[in-house]
Amino acid sequence: MLCRSALTRGSQLAARQAGVQKLAQRGFAAAAAAAPKSSYEPTTIAGVKVAARDDNGPTTRLAVVAKAGTRYEPLPGLTVGLEEYAFKNTNKRSALRIVRESELLGGQLTSYHTREALVLQASFLREDLPYFAELLAEVVSQTRYTSHEFHEEVENVIHQKQAKLDAAAIALDAAHAVAFHTGLGAPLYPTPSTPVSSYLNEHSVAAFAEAAYTKPNIAIVADGASSAGLSKWIEPFFKDVPAASDAAVKSAPSKYFGGEQRIALTGGNSLVIAFPGAAQGAKQPETAVLAALLGGQSSIKWSPGFSLLAKAAASTFGATAKASHLAYSDAGLLAIQITGQAAAVRKVAEESVKALKSVAEGGVTQEDLVKAIAKAKFNLLSAGEVAGSALAQTGSQLIHAGELVKVAEAVSALEGVTAEKLQAAAKTLLEGKASVAAVGDLHVLPFAEDLGLRRNPPSTQPSQTGTAVPALTAAKMTFAWKAAGLTYNRYLAVASRAVRNALKEDKRLAAERRNRQELRFAKWTNGKQGEIQNLADANVAAAVESAAAGGTA
Amino acid sequence: MPVPAPSLIDAVVARPWLARLLKPVANWYVNAAGYRQMGLRADDLICEEDERVLKALKRLSPKENYDRVYRLRRATQLSLQHKLLPKNEWTKPEEDVPYLTPVLKQVVAEEKERHALDTLEVVRRKGQH
Repeated sequence: MLCRSALTRGSQLAARQAGVQKLAQRGFAAAAAAAPKSSYEPTTIAGVKVAARDDNGPTTRLAVVAKAGTRYEPLPGLTVGLEEYAFKNTNKRSALRIVRESELLGGQLTSYHTREALVLQASFLREDLPYFAELLAEVVSQTRYTSHEFHEEVENVIHQKQAKLDAAAIALDAAHAVAFHTGLGAPLYPTPSTPVSSYLNEHSVAAFAEAAYTKPNIAIVADGASSAGLSKWIEPFFKDVPAASDAAVKSAPSKYFGGEQRIALTGGNSLVIAFPGAAQGAKQPETAVLAALLGGQSSIKWSPGFSLLAKAAASTFGATAKASHLAYSDAGLLAIQITGQAAAVRKVAEESVKALKSVAEGGVTQEDLVKAIAKAKFNLLSAGEVAGSALAQTGSQLIHAGELVKVAEAVSALEGVTAEKLQAAAKTLLEGKASVAAVGDLHVLPFAEDLGLRRNPPSTQPSQTGTAVPALTAAKMTFAWKAAGLTYNRYLAVASRAVRNALKEDKRLAAERRNRQELRFAKWTNGKQGEIQNLADANVAAAVESAAAGGTA
Repeated sequence: MPVPAPSLIDAVVARPWLARLLKPVANWYVNAAGYRQMGLRADDLICEEDERVLKALKRLSPKENYDRVYRLRRATQLSLQHKLLPKNEWTKPEEDVPYLTPVLKQVVAEEKERHALDTLEVVRRKGQH
């Protein structure tokens, strides 16, 4: 007689094998089709901006991205406080229950922030979308911001994270601070010496949450969720999120300043040299290519790689350098970060500036350019493709611009970068005012001037050096004609000619007749009279010559 | 308090006629207990030697904490001197509000929830979200 369990086991096995075959078939079919991974599709569900893409995978990442990064915090430390209050007690359930329930479902909850966005993210199995959509909506609209959680948990976590801040993080924050002052210049994480305790408490965080968590201020980004599921579940759960708040978050438009900051610190050295970069979606692909060209991080194991910074750092032991292009919604920063031992950092910093100068002098070979463009393209495309990595970026684009950056356009823009454009971009950067932050052993770390970076851009430079120069000339009240390199006489001549040309025909002829100069002159050399010239003609010739020579007359 | 003594309070409150009947008796008892004459509140009498009470005390606001310590020290002094407060400084019935009990209940509820979740049995139905 057959054992019953044997029978069922056989049928189980058969069923499982059938399943395996089915899975395998599906896998091959997907590979054969080789469909490119779909990009995020922006929609609006019940007044909330949503970006979703679905690759029919088994897991989903759902994130609420709020316009509440450090740029938007009204008081120091509030973004950090709000981040730590995520997934704490709500009106419906306790923090412990939230954690245990999501553990049971195999989900992971994280909250983090960038300079512009605060991200509450849940990663979970595909079928658990309703649970986590409800949870995120609850966290956004019903967190209680209790006092005891602030004192028992939030504060402690913040102190621990502050203790982990290293020289590199502090230097990057300092570079942002001198580059943008307020807004984007606010530190990504307040250092232990920042006096946040007078601003950061449960009441101020609750007030900030009320301003930040409103429908126009948040975006939901879903990676791996079906659009049908999203439209079904977001509408009921997010209806409690207020449509507007009395105190909306705000931040002034970013303006580049530049300058230098030095902070003494034990236990780590870091130097950041930053230049104004391009904003997200700006038509300025050179900056991204320049960052890729400078590079620094090797993509080949056991080898320094071929990027300029890697070559500069290869001869020096004990320091690493990397260049990155940090693009924000309305500004950008091209940052060269160098960390390691103080003496090595100094050496690599000098080499890095030399490398950048060689780019400005046209020392980029066609081969390097091709490599850099390829690397920039890879960076751009892989950032959007790797599962879950692009949630914050996508959400940030949605809440700031209301639409997503067109990747295809950006890629074709990268391909259009030529060696001349790159050289011009590098030259512009070096002529402008850099933002330099040195953190660590200040006895060794160099000043910006030691590195050969300009502290003040020349005031006679026309406005090709980007945003910094017009701001500076305006600040010094220089006249435009002086900035352009004209003498007062020539400026008057140009201005009156323009006025005369604007007159009506009869008046203009009369005016031109009035202007006719009959004065002639001759130059006498060695007692002999030279050629007799008309003064007016000679003046025009001199003006043309001086303009060609660079306007220094 | 953390391990509450058996009480009929809920049953009494649920029957207004009974509550009305027992109210004078309760008032007499509270006054006879004598803590109001020493300027204390009922919640000052909760035994501190308990983890949960200590945790609840930490959650009081600085003002509440200061006032509590003041009342206790004053009562200790009165006890040493075998005196009562002057009658106008006695705790009035409307001042005798539970300031610690709600926090303590919250702490106990948290503990209970943690225990429940720690000893939970998971039954996941097919097709359940």
